Amino acid sequence: MTENLSGLEVSRQCPTGGDAAPFVVTTRVDDLVNWFRESSIWYLLFATACCGIELMQTGGPRTDLDRFGAVFRSTPRQSDLLIVAGTITYKMADRVRLLYAQMASPKYVLAMGSCANCGGLFQPSYSVVPGVDAIVPVDIYLPGCPPRPEALNEAILRLQDLMKGEHWASRRKHQ
Amino acid sequence: MTESEICDRLKAALPDAVEEFESQLLDPAIRVKPARLVEACRFLRDDPSTRMHYLRLVTGVDRLPAGETPGRIEMVYHLWSYEKRHGIVLRVHLDRDNPVADTVCGVWPVANWGEREAFDLLGVTFTGHPDLKRIMMPVDWVGHPLRKDYQRPDRYHGLPTNRTAVLEQGRVQVATAEHVAKAEPVSGYMQLNMGPHHPATHGVINFLIETDGEVLRRAIPDVGYLHRGIEKISEMVGYLGTMPYTDRVDYLGAMFTNHGWALAVEKLCNIEVPRRAEFCRVIASELNRIASHQIATGALAMDLGAFTPFLHWIREREKINDIMERICGARLTYNYMRFGGVSRDIDQVTIDEIRRWLDHYEPMMLEFDRLISGNEIFIRRLANVAVIDPDDAIAYGLVGPNLRGSGLAWDVRRDEPYSIYNEFEWDVITGTGVHGVVGDAFDRYDCRLREIRESVRILRQACERIPEGEVRTKTARIKPAANEVYTRVEGPRGECGFFVVSDGTDKPYRSRFRTGSFTAMTIIEHLSPGLMIADLVALIGSLDVLAPEIDR
Ligand code: SF4
Repeated sequence: MTENLSGLEVSRQCPTGGDAAPFVVTTRVDDLVNWFRESSIWYLLFATACCGIELMQTGGPRTDLDRFGAVFRSTPRQSDLLIVAGTITYKMADRVRLLYAQMASPKYVLAMGSCANCGGLFQPSYSVVPGVDAIVPVDIYLPGCPPRPEALNEAILRLQDLMKGEHWASRRKHQ
Repeated sequence: MTESEICDRLKAALPDAVEEFESQLLDPAIRVKPARLVEACRFLRDDPSTRMHYLRLVTGVDRLPAGETPGRIEMVYHLWSYEKRHGIVLRVHLDRDNPVADTVCGVWPVANWGEREAFDLLGVTFTGHPDLKRIMMPVDWVGHPLRKDYQRPDRYHGLPTNRTAVLEQGRVQVATAEHVAKAEPVSGYMQLNMGPHHPATHGVINFLIETDGEVLRRAIPDVGYLHRGIEKISEMVGYLGTMPYTDRVDYLGAMFTNHGWALAVEKLCNIEVPRRAEFCRVIASELNRIASHQIATGALAMDLGAFTPFLHWIREREKINDIMERICGARLTYNYMRFGGVSRDIDQVTIDEIRRWLDHYEPMMLEFDRLISGNEIFIRRLANVAVIDPDDAIAYGLVGPNLRGSGLAWDVRRDEPYSIYNEFEWDVITGTGVHGVVGDAFDRYDCRLREIRESVRILRQACERIPEGEVRTKTARIKPAANEVYTRVEGPRGECGFFVVSDGTDKPYRSRFRTGSFTAMTIIEHLSPGLMIADLVALIGSLDVLAPEIDR
């Protein structure tokens, strides 16, 4: 008997035969690990500019990111996801690298807002990095200035999709 | 006293210091000899008839050589006296190739950072300055970005400075940390970096703290991590083009930066604003003030360990966001004001919605108050902590709730009226030392909370009295004649000023945004010795500083 449990393909089998409990669940390692990962995306509270306020609202009661197991962390050591919410300046660039390096693998980066995507409104500026992907590898680009909480919510769902398709060890290799 | 009387007074006292009285400007200025600047400043501060204890703004303007006139750097000082309610602009002309001026830090401590900024962005050297180094840009940056002939480099530490180059080079696949910790001199005390990524620093601000156990020896703020060069961009994009950028100067109070910018340009071009538009502006602004004070008080409580109040305010803020969306189409970066009015009308449905929301909100306000203001831990963390006396508050250029928290009843809305604020009935809130002495961190918190109620009062009256009519005067192309202007509004973080230099083209020649957070930061180093590390968090939270407002 197979069924779908929170997006996880599981097949239940009773070791003694028949349908009665106790039963074991068999699934693929990838599916299981990914299931864990995608339902506990702890993101780093890295609000550099205006987008950070929308990030905050997203964590608030209306959008409530907690539903997806995504809660904020104040330290990179406990985070899986770096949400770059706002403008990155040259002065800040090294700190972003440092934060990213401090996160444990597997780790993901979400560039939130036009500034993080490409410099946005501040492309003519002398002090703004034109896109955070010049500093750290980005997995999800979220457009908007600032993106609405709904959009950020959607981005987290997309990230879950991305995680679902991963081989459990492959991400470690790259980092 | 009028400006010319002040000038006469200065001339009488220091006859050879005054070079010229520039009365043709919108804010008349006295040009003084660079060598006599400090003397003139000290005189204006101490003389019983002038008493200018508040240095509002210090900034510089780069003038390129034009025809016969050689290039020069102008340093501009805006002085103000709370006591006498008058102000004056001082100006010195410096040699463009080697600009050197005397520091006025000894007269007004708040000048410290303003001069550092001029050093960083314009390359002016100040003799006698206690700590002259770059403030906004990284220490190894080359050049002075606000110089008119500045060319931005192609690369900085291998990072491309334009998007095309990033795409050509390919996105980074593997990131390495190249950060090298700076060796600090050993002083026998523990030295720590608090920030720039720290949950309690309200955005990207760094504090270099030197501690003896839990007690601070000093905390030195290090800013510039969010310096986005908005002032330089405004020189490229023109007057209207700058409007969306002003949103990003203070994203919690974007209506106020919008408003200040609009006022500046309206004053330069002599544009009238229709009455209904003034009401629209007030309604939008006061809603915004409530939202901003909510974040300030909520975040302060959160910094001190109480998370629930913050969530309450976030929930209420969502509702303000909904109304804002109806008013101007945006939740955060409003871009609502236009020169001569506002971008769109507030219709009757929205006004009814605001009224309904106010009915709902007033009990919420009290609930928040009950939830946290009487909490024993909260009170003890704030009362008698980081006390700022009124003299210090003025000398360090504190404005807004921070100034009023120290007991000085000064609100730009009432005392230098703009828009239609003087038609409404409301009170200026000052600190009363509810749980400690006047001017402590709790007073600043309390001021903000009580100001929310005043905003509610103003909102009710404005919704009641809003007249019919146009919301925008038709304006021709914005092209003000050469002049200079400084306008201010009362933002949630205090006086939010806009200094604009026009040169007869459709783009500002120079603009400088004077923000409350920038000056509020200067007092931290002065207050920090002897505080506990945890008190520093309370201090920062109670000052309600916001990174983009500091760095712009
Ligand atoms: S994308 Fe827009 S809202 Fe976000 S940080 Fe940049 S300017 Fe601010």
